[in-house]
Amino acid sequence: MAAATNQARIGRIGLYAFLVTTCLFFSIPLLVVISTSFKPLSEVRDFSVFQLPAQMTAAAWGKAWQSACTGTECAGLHIAFWNSVRIVIPSVIISVLVGSLNGYALSHWRVRGADTLMLALILGAFIPYQVIIFPLVKIFSTVGIFGSVACIIAVHVLFGLPVMTLLFRNFYVGIPNELVKAARVDGAGFWRIFLFIILPLSVNMLIVAAILQTTGIWNDYLFGLIFAGHNNTPMTVELMELATTSTGVVEYNVSTAAALLTALPPLLLYFFSGRYFVRGITAGAVKG
Amino acid sequence: MTGVRVIGVSKSHGLLRVLQDIDLAVEPGEFTVLLGPSGCGKTTLLNTIAGLDIPDSGSVFIGGRDVTNVDPSGRGIAMVFQSYALYPTMSVRRNLSFGLRVRSVQRDEVERRVAWASQMLQIGELLDRKPNQLSGGQRQRVAIGRALVQKAGVFLFDEPLSNLDAKLRMETRVEIKRLHQELGATMLYVTHDQIEAMTLATRIAVMHKGRVIQYAPPDELYERPRTMFVAGFVGSLATNMMTTRLSPGDPPMITLGTGRFPLDRYDFTSAPAGDRDVVLSVRPENVSLATSGQAGTVEADTLFTEPMGADTLAWFTLAGQRISARLDPHAARGLTGRVRLAFDLDKVSLFDPASGDRL
Ligand SMILES: Nc1ncnc2c1ncn2[C@@H]1O[C@H](COP(=O)(O)OP(=O)(O)OP(=O)(O)O)[C@@H](O)[C@H]1O
Ligand SMILES: [Mg+2]
Repeated sequence: MAAATNQARIGRIGLYAFLVTTCLFFSIPLLVVISTSFKPLSEVRDFSVFQLPAQMTAAAWGKAWQSACTGTECAGLHIAFWNSVRIVIPSVIISVLVGSLNGYALSHWRVRGADTLMLALILGAFIPYQVIIFPLVKIFSTVGIFGSVACIIAVHVLFGLPVMTLLFRNFYVGIPNELVKAARVDGAGFWRIFLFIILPLSVNMLIVAAILQTTGIWNDYLFGLIFAGHNNTPMTVELMELATTSTGVVEYNVSTAAALLTALPPLLLYFFSGRYFVRGITAGAVKG
Repeated sequence: MTGVRVIGVSKSHGLLRVLQDIDLAVEPGEFTVLLGPSGCGKTTLLNTIAGLDIPDSGSVFIGGRDVTNVDPSGRGIAMVFQSYALYPTMSVRRNLSFGLRVRSVQRDEVERRVAWASQMLQIGELLDRKPNQLSGGQRQRVAIGRALVQKAGVFLFDEPLSNLDAKLRMETRVEIKRLHQELGATMLYVTHDQIEAMTLATRIAVMHKGRVIQYAPPDELYERPRTMFVAGFVGSLATNMMTTRLSPGDPPMITLGTGRFPLDRYDFTSAPAGDRDVVLSVRPENVSLATSGQAGTVEADTLFTEPMGADTLAWFTLAGQRISARLDPHAARGLTGRVRLAFDLDKVSLFDPASGDRL
């Protein structure tokens, strides 16, 4: 008996030791970044990165936002932040709504060639997008919108649609088709059924999809770099510029503050909508 | 009032022929039940009439108008679905009024109809609840209410009671019958429960493998089934199907074990020629115990009895075949050994063993 409990206790201690180590392993870099961002430049230069700031200051944050140099301009990240917002909001709204519309059409209406379309979508979701960047650049240049907000939004919508459509289709096949039939007998058509019956049932799914898209698009770097054009560069691209623009000393405190600023929006989003996220993911079929 | 005519409707899903050349006429005000085993195409036929499925060939007329290519909303029908299909995000009131608002019915008229239907179905207190706050029976009533407010000429029901427990099913059955009498509307009702069919219908269409086998009033269906399938499918107690020998003459005789029975009043579709094997269908309630020695009786051995309350179902073997009789519980008590059975020969049916058709 005693031996058994002892063994169990040792096992438990081992488990906790392992958990604490992993926790530290993952959180130390984050802690270092956070602590560095609150240090004055002198401390960054003269002390170890593991030391906590002796003098807390938010100066680096202010500089990262307002006046740090990115390339030749020295205005911080605030312009890029608003660029990102201008890109993310329409991209998310359009891709989520169109994805949900596609999913509804594919799951509840007889669409000619629906199976082929599904196959194409699944393939589309897996194609490495580097492959089609060059053709896309060509196409957008020909149309004449290359390097504009519209262009980068179009790119995000295009690349988001396969996954959004699959996500919503799989959610909507769980909604009994009799619901749609009942509405058709009641006289409602394709759009009215979508707006008044399907969309209200999808609130949780819409939130999940919006979170996925917002995070994905906010964190995008490559598309922003290529398609957005100089006046609309998103925050991620500017962050890279900021970190690589050096005038003598490397201001790690400003770089880390800028990195945290860029990472903050998706983080806050998860923080405030985690509840819906779980609810949406676990939401099963709808029973009448 | 509106009648429904289905003319030569066929429909396939891939290689599977779900509906094969269906003809069906429902007179105005009639209560027609589509009865058949699972998968025989009842729902598909109903959906075809509703316009939710498009037939490969044939046409559908409602109220004398060819609606084969008309949308469900334009056919003047209302439908109740098997799974209720209430709109989950809408209150009961919204569920009832959705169709009317879609059709831009005036607001006070909408309210009048919702009040009328909810009073008729006693769902007045439920109007502000959501479907997931209702019991199965209440949902059922709301689903019927949603059809009622349409004031359609034709009501289509797809197994509306199959999700209810036995007691509720009986109550709702009575309710539907009352509604039919009060509204006088034409009703088409799908079920695979033959008690439901017998109690509700003015005429029953028995379906099997995508065809309508027989379309007749319940008593005719019960007493003069056109095929062996109909005889076997209709009736709450399974009918006895026995292989017997038929010999022509005046009257024609059938031989069963040691017994010989004259068929002097049987209405043959064509006069029998020559000795042949036939299938005799005799319902349990038409088998009785006889006092020994009578003519037109036959000896059988008792197997066991199943008391069912009002009567007892007794099982015997006769010439190597099983036969059941629905007996008075007193008469059946303590029944053992060899007995003599008599048949009500006016109520038997004979079938060709090969084709299954009535003789
Ligand atoms: N969309 C479809 N694709 C392929 N086959 C189908 C489809 N819908 C129905 N079927 C087939 O058609 C046949 C008839 O189906 P239907 O739903 O009309 O049967 P039912 O008589 O209503 O049966 P139940 O009593 O079980 O509801 C079945 O064999 C079914 O498998
Ligand atoms: Mg069915």
